[in-house]
Amino acid sequence: MAATTDSVKADASEAPLLNKTNLIAGFMLYLVFYSFIRWYEGVYGWSAGLDSFAPEFETYWMNMLYIELVLEVVIASTLWGYIWKTRDRNVMSITPREELRRHFTHWTWLVMYGWAIYWGASYFTEQDGTWHQTIVRDTDFTPSHIIEFYLSYPIYIITGVSAFLYAKTRLPAYQEGLSLMYMVSVIGPFMILPNVGLNEWGHTFWFMEELFVAPLHYGFVFFGWAALAIMGVVNIEVEALTKLLKKDLA
Amino acid sequence: MSASQSAVRSRAEAVQVSRTLDWMILFTLFTAVLGGYHIHYMLTGGDWDFWTDWKDRRLWVTVAPIVSITFPAAVQAMLWYRYRLPFGAVCCVIALMLGEWINRYLNFWGWTYFPVNFCFPSNLVPGAIVLDVVLMLSSSFVLTAVIGGMAYGLLFYPGNWPIIAPLHVPVEYNGMMFTLADLQGYHYVRTGTPEYIRMVEKGTLRTFGKDVAPVSAFFSAFVSIIIYFLWHYFGRWFNKTDFVSGEGI
Repeated sequence: MAATTDSVKADASEAPLLNKTNLIAGFMLYLVFYSFIRWYEGVYGWSAGLDSFAPEFETYWMNMLYIELVLEVVIASTLWGYIWKTRDRNVMSITPREELRRHFTHWTWLVMYGWAIYWGASYFTEQDGTWHQTIVRDTDFTPSHIIEFYLSYPIYIITGVSAFLYAKTRLPAYQEGLSLMYMVSVIGPFMILPNVGLNEWGHTFWFMEELFVAPLHYGFVFFGWAALAIMGVVNIEVEALTKLLKKDLA
Repeated sequence: MSASQSAVRSRAEAVQVSRTLDWMILFTLFTAVLGGYHIHYMLTGGDWDFWTDWKDRRLWVTVAPIVSITFPAAVQAMLWYRYRLPFGAVCCVIALMLGEWINRYLNFWGWTYFPVNFCFPSNLVPGAIVLDVVLMLSSSFVLTAVIGGMAYGLLFYPGNWPIIAPLHVPVEYNGMMFTLADLQGYHYVRTGTPEYIRMVEKGTLRTFGKDVAPVSAFFSAFVSIIIYFLWHYFGRWFNKTDFVSGEGI
């Protein structure tokens, strides 16, 4: 398609298809934040995290837990509320270019979701194993749990639900109903958080310092499988994007 | 929207858009699979993967291939059957091993000071390459399960042998003979020691003497075939693009 004077003017004034600043800023936000958290663990895990009855444990770890729980509730309700409140009520009448722009924004959310899942399910979960192999736990709220269960898991839940809400409220491809695999990919990893309750309950019965392959942990495994549902989401997206781009790529 | 309208201004822009989306999709797929695969693997075979004194001739050889062929089978069901991309298994295994190496270095060593030559992860790459090659050449998930799955189980021990062999040499310590890997575990006490290592090489399979590893590898290979079938169908299910009605939810 030839570029006309009008289309060049329109290009100059409209928002870019992919907001790279948001993409890089989001990626760096998680990276810098979790690097800080890892530093905090390294310093205060050893100096204040070994005895949950010590006053310094309350100062450095329990206070951190209280602060993060409050912030997570505030951020989740604000973010999800904002995405829902500003939803597009005429989503089926947007132009193809606007639809493509929204797919890029949606993919920025999904990139952040994958990035958050990495930190939660891979980095901080296996890290928890080596902490338990080193320090005998005397509380459910060990330093590694305060980071893994109550920080990194809620962060990927907040990110995943935000991506789902964005797709549902702004993209024509998701207006047929509720995408089964999108729900599995968000609700499955979310269910890992309630499974923490089972885990902690079980650890009060049995001494398992720390057999990682213990059947008590299989709930985490089952819900971890739900991450594979991202494949269904990718397929929906590829179908939608193919419709948008096919004749231009032919 | 009007069918005559285009989402892009030119073919060049369409190509650029397509390539950019490819990278965003691959990053998301890679990290999400990494997270799911890692939590699955560490909680079904993790202890054998964490420590050299758990990397024995019996259960490590048996468990690791069986529990690790899962995600490669499922992701192959997507990448090959929908997009004809022949790297599903290698992509999974590279993701898993990247997550593991980062963790072993930054956390096992960097936070709790277990030396890396005591807690390095198992190598799963040779079996994954064979899985992908068999699927690419045959385009048949049945052949991939039978030949690739069998090879995946059988190749695990030889694929790790060059790394683990130096740690399986015998040493005498306080009048007892054990392996160098056992000696590492003796010195790097973990919170559950000694009960923690009760699952290492127990049972009368020792009766087979030098044949323990091949017997375990063949058993693992047969089970890997079954697990591949199962997870191929799991993968197909996870590939669905169905929508359900929002009513009543």
